[in-house]
Amino acid sequence: MSGLPIDLALAYDSMPALLRGLMTTILITVVSLVCGLMLAFPLCFARMSERPWLARAAETFVVFFRGTPVLILLYLVYYGFGQIKMLREGPLWLLFGSAFGCAIVAFSLNHAAYMVEVLRGSLLAVPAGLVEASEALGISRRKVFLWVRMPLAIRYGLKAYQNEVVSFTKGTAIVSVVTITDLTAVANGIFEQTYDPFTPILSAAALYWAFINAIRLVFRFWGAYLNRHNEDGVAETTSLPTSTLERMTGAGFTTMTTTADPATSASTGTGKEAA
Amino acid sequence: MNLSLPAFYGYLGQLAEGALITVELFLTSFSLALLFGIILAVATSSKSRIIAAIWSVYASIFMGVPSLLVIFLIFYGGSAMVTAVLGDSASIDITPFSAGVAALSIVYAAYIAELLRGAIANLPHGQFEGARALAIPPLIMWVRVILPQVARLALPGLVNVWSFMIKETPLVSLAGLNDLVATAKIAAGATKEPFIFFIATSLFFIVFSAATLWLATRLEIRLDRGLTRTKA
Repeated sequence: MSGLPIDLALAYDSMPALLRGLMTTILITVVSLVCGLMLAFPLCFARMSERPWLARAAETFVVFFRGTPVLILLYLVYYGFGQIKMLREGPLWLLFGSAFGCAIVAFSLNHAAYMVEVLRGSLLAVPAGLVEASEALGISRRKVFLWVRMPLAIRYGLKAYQNEVVSFTKGTAIVSVVTITDLTAVANGIFEQTYDPFTPILSAAALYWAFINAIRLVFRFWGAYLNRHNEDGVAETTSLPTSTLERMTGAGFTTMTTTADPATSASTGTGKEAA
Repeated sequence: MNLSLPAFYGYLGQLAEGALITVELFLTSFSLALLFGIILAVATSSKSRIIAAIWSVYASIFMGVPSLLVIFLIFYGGSAMVTAVLGDSASIDITPFSAGVAALSIVYAAYIAELLRGAIANLPHGQFEGARALAIPPLIMWVRVILPQVARLALPGLVNVWSFMIKETPLVSLAGLNDLVATAKIAAGATKEPFIFFIATSLFFIVFSAATLWLATRLEIRLDRGLTRTKA
């Protein structure tokens, strides 16, 4: 045992397979992110609804799908839904019959539950006075939402959204348990062929690292674009009480997170006190 | 329902054993992560550019790679790493449990250290200067002056790490640990009742998080006792 534990020749030879694995990972991530987000909007409206039964139902959804580890969710969808006879004979079997479909369903439900809280936190951070003023001007509720609340909410929630996307992406590494050959599965396969414990996994880790940091870069540019009217840029996207940690969406534990760093809330508190 | 009651109780016993392993794994990893996290945060809190650069590389690596890969790396390559460091005489077998503890505590130490660094940076500088002016030795300054205040600031973040980390412990079952999730999977396969077992498992995680969240709120109130907020 000496020198680098990495076999560069093996790393080079396995790169095409690893890149194909990365493509699968990216595909699953992107499809689930899109489906989850589309699911999150109606759920978030239900969660914020004034009808208690609707709000309660959405809250139960969020508690269940946020609290359950994704691995269990994946098992539940993959092994569980196949047991339902009605589903097996219906047209939805196209979706639940394939491992890929099951993975998308499980990941989307998980992502949607987290995004409900991100969205809710961001929408609640929009000063109520702005919304009232828009309504007083006779702007329709739909337009107020689209052109007043959402643009601000995106800026407030961008950091939380980035954290959720990053940790969600890392979470997709488990799809190999339902026979999908993503990046982790490819690395595992190479390990089983060569018994080299370092090269395949470290190569896969490097690819994951690059992908995750590409996501972070995209969010940084997005944040800079959204705040291009600001001289000192960053203030508005960080005003939601979140930290650098993943999934620090906070909204679920509002009492816990409001105390998070007094320094930033003091320096950026201008916008929120407008109400 | 094709599951008799005695059989169900039998599986329930196995699930309880699995749950015990999951909780053991989680508590061990969290305590170690907290310990390493505190050490890392204190060690990297100096103003030195080099230390900051090393820290940002370390944090970037462990926050940018899925925990599952770190678990696999240590499980497959751990014994080779130990031999390389300690020489050929020291060969140990890496169990899934120890690989899981090592991987989760390494990864989450990075998160906790990042959190604590933020809290330390948010403390008024006078706390450090005051301690130095009173000639309080560094160790006592950290343990008795700085860290108690950091604990108050960092608690909400630590609770988030806690409830996120518990949801990552099932990953160790993929390295072969017979934890709650692995047991539930076996039971679900044997009885063809996936819904009962997987939903029971997820309820366990939800209840565990809720219970500890309640405890954390009590702890937060206690840590805040010196600073009861006066709201205008």
